[in-house]
Amino acid sequence: MDWSFLLVATLALPLAMVVACVHHLFFARVLSWLPLAPVPGLLAALFERGDSIVIAPAPLRLTLALDDVGAMLLGGASLLWGAAGLYASVSMRGKPGSGRFAIWWLLTLTGSLGVFIVADMTSFYLVFSLASLAAYGLVAFENTARSRRASRVYMALALLGEALILFGFVMLVSAMPGGNPLIRDAVAMLPGSPLESPAVLLLILGFGLKTGLVPLHVWMPLAHPVAPIPASAVLSGIIVKAGVIGLIRFLPLEVPSPDWGMALMVLGLLTAFYGVIVGVTQQHPKTVLAYSTVSQMGVVAAVLGAGLSTGAPGTATLAAFYALHHLLVKGALFLGVGIVGATGTRYVSRVIIPMALLAFSLAGLPLTSGALAKFATKPLFGDGLAAFMATLSAAGSALLMAHFLGRLRTLADESTGDVANASLVFAWALVAAASLILPWVLFPEITTYALSETVSMKALWVASWPVAIGLLLALFLKRIDASVPRIPEGDVIVLLERLQPLAARCGTAIERTDLVLRRWPVASIVLLMLAIAFGTALQFSR
Amino acid sequence: MIGSTTLYGLCATGLVAIGLYGLVLHPSPLRKVIAFNLLGSGTFILFGVAAQRGAAAGLLADPVPQAMVITGIVVAFAATAVAVALLLRLVESGGSTLEPSAPDPQDDRPS
Amino acid sequence: MTPAAYTATEGGALLVVAIVLPVIGMLAIFALGLRRAERIAYLVLPVGLLVALAIAADVARSGAAVTYVLGGWQPPLGIALRADGLSVTLMVLTAVVLCAVGLVARGSFSTPPDKAEARSPMVFWTLILGLWCALNTVFLSQDLFNLFVALELLTFSAVPLVCLDGRRETLQAALRYLLFALIGSVLYLMGAALLYGAYGTLDLAGLRLLARNDLATSVALGLMIAGLMAKAALFPLHLWLPPAHAGAPAAASAVLSALVVKAPFFIILRLWFDVAPQPANAMAAQMLAWLGIASILFCSVMALRQARLKLMIAYSTVAQLGYLFLMFPLVMASDAPTAWESVGWTGGVLQLVSHALAKASMFLAAGLIAEALGHDRIENLDGAMSVVPISVAAFGLAGLSLMGLPPSGGFVAKLMLLTAATETANWWIAAAILLGGILAASYVFRVLNRAMAAPASDFACKASIPLYRELTVLGLAICAVVLGFVPLQPFAFLGIGRVGLP
Repeated sequence: MDWSFLLVATLALPLAMVVACVHHLFFARVLSWLPLAPVPGLLAALFERGDSIVIAPAPLRLTLALDDVGAMLLGGASLLWGAAGLYASVSMRGKPGSGRFAIWWLLTLTGSLGVFIVADMTSFYLVFSLASLAAYGLVAFENTARSRRASRVYMALALLGEALILFGFVMLVSAMPGGNPLIRDAVAMLPGSPLESPAVLLLILGFGLKTGLVPLHVWMPLAHPVAPIPASAVLSGIIVKAGVIGLIRFLPLEVPSPDWGMALMVLGLLTAFYGVIVGVTQQHPKTVLAYSTVSQMGVVAAVLGAGLSTGAPGTATLAAFYALHHLLVKGALFLGVGIVGATGTRYVSRVIIPMALLAFSLAGLPLTSGALAKFATKPLFGDGLAAFMATLSAAGSALLMAHFLGRLRTLADESTGDVANASLVFAWALVAAASLILPWVLFPEITTYALSETVSMKALWVASWPVAIGLLLALFLKRIDASVPRIPEGDVIVLLERLQPLAARCGTAIERTDLVLRRWPVASIVLLMLAIAFGTALQFSR
Repeated sequence: MIGSTTLYGLCATGLVAIGLYGLVLHPSPLRKVIAFNLLGSGTFILFGVAAQRGAAAGLLADPVPQAMVITGIVVAFAATAVAVALLLRLVESGGSTLEPSAPDPQDDRPS
Repeated sequence: MTPAAYTATEGGALLVVAIVLPVIGMLAIFALGLRRAERIAYLVLPVGLLVALAIAADVARSGAAVTYVLGGWQPPLGIALRADGLSVTLMVLTAVVLCAVGLVARGSFSTPPDKAEARSPMVFWTLILGLWCALNTVFLSQDLFNLFVALELLTFSAVPLVCLDGRRETLQAALRYLLFALIGSVLYLMGAALLYGAYGTLDLAGLRLLARNDLATSVALGLMIAGLMAKAALFPLHLWLPPAHAGAPAAASAVLSALVVKAPFFIILRLWFDVAPQPANAMAAQMLAWLGIASILFCSVMALRQARLKLMIAYSTVAQLGYLFLMFPLVMASDAPTAWESVGWTGGVLQLVSHALAKASMFLAAGLIAEALGHDRIENLDGAMSVVPISVAAFGLAGLSLMGLPPSGGFVAKLMLLTAATETANWWIAAAILLGGILAASYVFRVLNRAMAAPASDFACKASIPLYRELTVLGLAICAVVLGFVPLQPFAFLGIGRVGLP
């Protein structure tokens, strides 16, 4: 049976829901429909494979296609969107502006699912922009001073990212005839083209900004925590994956490119440690999680970099596998923060224990899905320093997650609720279960290893010692807790914000210049000088 | 001896220079309008020079620039009329210069 | 020395209709009584749109320019009218924008029933028709002097529109506009005189055959381009534009920003591609582009710092005009066989069209917002979304096009310019396009952010806006967005009638 209509429905259903909001009756109820919006995406990920459909014929060539990498991330993202939608439909009910929130939600959803299934460059840019710009509405929703600052920084950097990516795309396409090539055709042309280096640089910067590579990560610890809980979950779980899929799709992974690969790997590992170091100084659990996302995305970038430098086959699939694991775990952790906040001290241990399991899964605790993700990607790093650093980053993750659980405990102690709403708990449990089970199901399909190898003594040992080191470090950190410096959220951005007076001065200077230029004698003399200049240029230069 | 073409040309240049000076540097709008007329006249003489050179090429006198000058004079006349009308309204409303005064921050009308 | 002869084509008489129809409308207003101005305009506007569409259909069907030679007199004595793909595109654009503006203006410029006749409605409708006649003449003329007359007509129709409300600031703005435009005209006229002196013709096709690379031509072109830049308000010659466009009533601002400043640019295009000796001068092209870059960056920052919505939009106009001037070096350096087959040329023209639609919609939306709230201070726009949601949506969609985000005409235009800049290694131009987009997004979001905020508790709506006016504005914005679905290639239609040129 032909399931390709599901791909169209993946984008069409949420958009249709947005359009239906024109009618006030639907607008009033749109929140409760949110869980249904990603259903076609989920079905497409399950049933549809390999086909590509052209929505608009040449010369527009809007094309949708789903490959294994896309399907993996599409399925995980749809699941999280659905669960978070269920969570939002309960937790946001009755809040002022919830209708507006739902519209931004649906637009972001469309864009973020779209990036996994579009196959041509223009559509990719379109859905990518939709995802990053519509997410602004989610970040800015609370309308507090903190969220206004976060949304401002988010918007500025998102636009910068758009510009970088657009420029990269133009360089990618400039050698191609016709306006809108398929992504894989354009990328296949890239190696050896005269604009290869600047194009790769721009794409790494642009998509790296979205995945939060240092130092372009500054928006993430600001933006992710200020959104409402379900929005944080999708921002940190899914939206950053738009950057990952961008790197996967647009880097020529099949062709070995040692320089760029090494650069990306170093940047990724740097980010992985940086996220941990700044993360452990944070106080709010959501901020700690945001820094953990920075760190984990660093690992994904390092995986891609390692693959790029050797041109190892299967890099894309492995990176996507790792990203899928992070997507589900991080989504579950963020939703869990909300659950803990709503659960009284009496029942909180029923939530904290699964949360601990999820958290340490992120660090690759043996027998968890995280260990599988680490196990699958490890061979890409080879045997040298890079492999050691990658393993060590797992220790960092364990440290950060232990810190997170400590902060979560504090949050639980402050909680005034009793039992969280059953729908909320269900949404959380669904994602948590999926994050622990799905990787086991997928693992045999995407690697050549047997599952039994992952539970061998050697594998268990390799997975255990970093976690142990991380826990020891966490104990040590708890000891010296008082003397740990408190780095403000967004770290480097605070330094950049010191430049604000300078920017304001520049603005004032420009205003003054404008006043001078707009005085009559000045403008008319400039006009005469321009006439002379043009005449001279036309006459004396060739 | 300078030929009449050169004389006309120099004449045009002089008028243009005076006109530009007034238009650029005189603060009073009415002077600017008059200066514009001088500038216009200079340009029309330039067309006259072009016609004269056409005559040098063997024609009696080139009629096209003359037609253009006539049209141009009409246009300049219309421009002067519009400018003076605006200026009158401006003076009636209490202003007399081109440089805008500082905007009133309390002004509530859409600007 | 005989210039190229024009042969009148079938259907050429429509060109005369396009120019004369608005004039007939003006005369009818004077003859039938000023009270009927609005009704007459509503009769003329759709007919004019149909005429423009008919000419466009004719051009598209025949694949060649439509030509009409007045009275059968060939240039240089006679005057030829010629509609190629580019001019007919702009004619349709003008008609569409004017029709939309007419619909939206219906509320603000109706003659009140209790009065015998009111001045400002009569003036508004008469001038709109006069402006239309002038624009069509600019797009169709084939003669530099004729273009001068058309430009002057345009200025004389546009200037009074600025000061319809008769306040002192707007009168000052109008007078500044008029005088500065007049300097520009005189420079242009001097250039025309020099060209006539050198070549004995002002006919475009004739000049194209004759143009040499000599002092007279260089000086003439320098004077003409500078004069036209003053009329197009390119930075740093924008002194008159912000107060004039911000002070005019919204409907008039929309026409001024969307269409009037495009006419001088259109003539620069004509001069550069049809008159100037080929190959064009690289240095002068770079100078034009640098002024464009300065315009984009400087005026975008200025737009970001404005407190008033309409002033912000006016500065944004100057910034967006800058993009148009980027195309000169891009076209020159491209390896396309003719200028109009290059991506840069098409991108520039598309930017012209999409900016016209977007800016008209934006000014009209700002007008409706100001009408509903009673002010246009950006800081106090809270609650606009709850009063005039459709206008705010139109503002947002139009903004999308200005920022160059997909899907919108502005995106495709800027993408084409960016592609051309990349292909020809003009990195400064590419950087300016990207930076300009970021700045544009900042000033548009600044407004949207305020407009979408919840209203204050003492919020009161000053006037209710009829739905059809809001929908018209939204329609214009949607047109700007729909332009984004054109493919990213040079459009054959824009090259019609130019391919045959030497």
